Amino acid sequence: MIIRGDAITGPVRESTDVCIIGSGCGGGASAKILAQAGRRVIVLEEGGHFTSGDFDGTEETAYQKFYRERAGQATEDLAVTVLQGRCIGGSSTVNWCTTLRTPEWVLDAWARTYQVRDLGARELEPYFDRIELYLNAAPEPEENHSPNNRIILDGARSLGYRTKVNKRNVRGCVRAGACGLGCPFDAKLGVDRTYIPDASKAGAVFYANARAERIRARGPMKRVEGVILDERSQKARFEISIEAPVVIVSGSAIHSPVLLEKSGLANSSGQRGRNLTLHLTTAIVGLFDRVIYPGGGIPQSALCDQFLNANGDGGGFWIEAVPVYPALAGLSLPSFGEFHRAMMCLYPYLGASIVLVKETDSVGRVSLGRSGRPALSYRLGQRDRRVLQSGLETAARIHFAAGARKAMTLHAHPMQFASEEEISPALATARWGPNDLSLFSAHPLGTCRMGGDARSSVVDGHCQTHDVPGLFVIDGSVTPTSLGVNPQLTILAVAEKSAEWIAENFRSLTS
Amino acid sequence: MIRATVSTTRRRFLKQTTVGILALWGGGALTVLRARQQPPLAIPSGLTFFSGQEYAIVQSVARRLIGPDSRIGPEPGQADVALRADRFLSEADADVQEQFHQLLVVFNAPFFTFLFDFRLSSFLAMPPDQQDSYLHDWMTSTFSFRRTAFQALKRLCASMYYTDSVTWEDIEYTGMFLPGEPS
Repeated sequence: MIIRGDAITGPVRESTDVCIIGSGCGGGASAKILAQAGRRVIVLEEGGHFTSGDFDGTEETAYQKFYRERAGQATEDLAVTVLQGRCIGGSSTVNWCTTLRTPEWVLDAWARTYQVRDLGARELEPYFDRIELYLNAAPEPEENHSPNNRIILDGARSLGYRTKVNKRNVRGCVRAGACGLGCPFDAKLGVDRTYIPDASKAGAVFYANARAERIRARGPMKRVEGVILDERSQKARFEISIEAPVVIVSGSAIHSPVLLEKSGLANSSGQRGRNLTLHLTTAIVGLFDRVIYPGGGIPQSALCDQFLNANGDGGGFWIEAVPVYPALAGLSLPSFGEFHRAMMCLYPYLGASIVLVKETDSVGRVSLGRSGRPALSYRLGQRDRRVLQSGLETAARIHFAAGARKAMTLHAHPMQFASEEEISPALATARWGPNDLSLFSAHPLGTCRMGGDARSSVVDGHCQTHDVPGLFVIDGSVTPTSLGVNPQLTILAVAEKSAEWIAENFRSLTS
Repeated sequence: MIRATVSTTRRRFLKQTTVGILALWGGGALTVLRARQQPPLAIPSGLTFFSGQEYAIVQSVARRLIGPDSRIGPEPGQADVALRADRFLSEADADVQEQFHQLLVVFNAPFFTFLFDFRLSSFLAMPPDQQDSYLHDWMTSTFSFRRTAFQALKRLCASMYYTDSVTWEDIEYTGMFLPGEPS
């Protein structure tokens, strides 16, 4: 059952077995596993409940209703825009359907460096298998790739770089290109269309427009206090209070640590809110003589990961296609005025590929900011900056190999290349300070990291906080490092595994 | 060359601009009055966030940022960027609203145009080529907070303009593909 905020007519006070805060990949998957195990589950979701009838395929509707801070969430210096869903299903409702397994070398590093046990490739494989089947995740056939994805496949292959075809969690996809705006055709099998309906069938209750403000944890019982929001004004209407012995915080790597900070919990290690990684992202835009139409067709079906962990240091970059809708193009393309307008008017002929950095030395943090909102800080490290530059060089080469007439970065001051030979010398003179280059992230991770040592991590290998028995964090916060792949499948697998452990150990957790 | 990545936080930006505003009040009252006397664009009634002058600043900035042959304006078939921004910002968090009001003061007031760029008039009073030059200075400034402010203005104007479907025809955007269309 999903209860919308506007359907509530007074304060809510309930008790249950498990209270989950957030309904994205972490919260949605946990709700299904625990409800199907016979536990009473209540889920609080700050965002609204939307279905295919609400998704009209426009940025205006999507950013206004389905995204965190109306797609304007950013680091404090506005240098990095951090896109996240804010609705039932969380970011899975508005992501680009890329379903990739955690690389084995990443899981090995977690075990080796952070003493994370039982999350190796062998342990997670049955979860990946099961989830891929559940979400119908499969690679697209060759003929389905959009021209924007073909740039990567054709360009990278001709340069001899390794490419992969992504698995996508869809059924009956019509290739409209609207994944990032919410699927109007019910083809995307996000958490809102899979885990949440199944959790509801098993008895879980979802409150939409319900924002958790604080967790009180004294003794085995915990109380989650929050407010029911008016759907339109987002102003608080009523209080909501849920008592439960087990509380799972699944608010994302941005909001989970902030809720814990507001609650004064889970920070004996001093690591809560630290270690933020973003898979820092920028793009190369190519100008082609043929129509690419970067806002249509499957948004993301191919990647090039030749340069990920290439020298064994756990860093590097990978390249994916990116759907470019008009407003996203308008705010990302370089400069302004005549140059910018000329580029916008060439919209159908623009192709775009994103470079995502798997960070190794950047420093990010989330803390409680003014007016109770998260404050994000992020400083690009020297190594990661070089990786970013190298990624841009590679992506530009791929564009030329795929037939681009011109390529450009997203530097504020236009940096264009008319040939491959111009790329490296030009980038060597580029500026890399805050707001010199448009930077994005859709993968904030790591702010309540998992580890075997309570002195250096926030949660253990089951996602239970070291400090408070029965208090769990299950979302992208718990990854000890960034992933090198789009995170939804990793989060789902960790969530399913942790929720199973909670179900098996529920009695001992509540005694 | 790698530039220092000392970030300007919202809080720091607020502090800096607050100090600036005090200086403005203390030393630039006459020039502010002069700026207010600029004949602005036609100001629509019913603004909920912007003052009339702020509306004019944002609309003028939008015209320069979006570029030639844009459809910015209040008529049917045009995108009224500043009006859309007014609606958008009226629903923003209080601290964002406060910062945006301050940003517009700092951006437009002659005291600051002189302080930053030795220009003698407000942004609104500059001819278009000087407005472009002024915006370029903000975009490429060595002061991080000016680049931040430029990006805030650009993101607001570009998103308000290009989310309006009346602007799509010019860039040949026809929306998402519908079933049956070639993809």
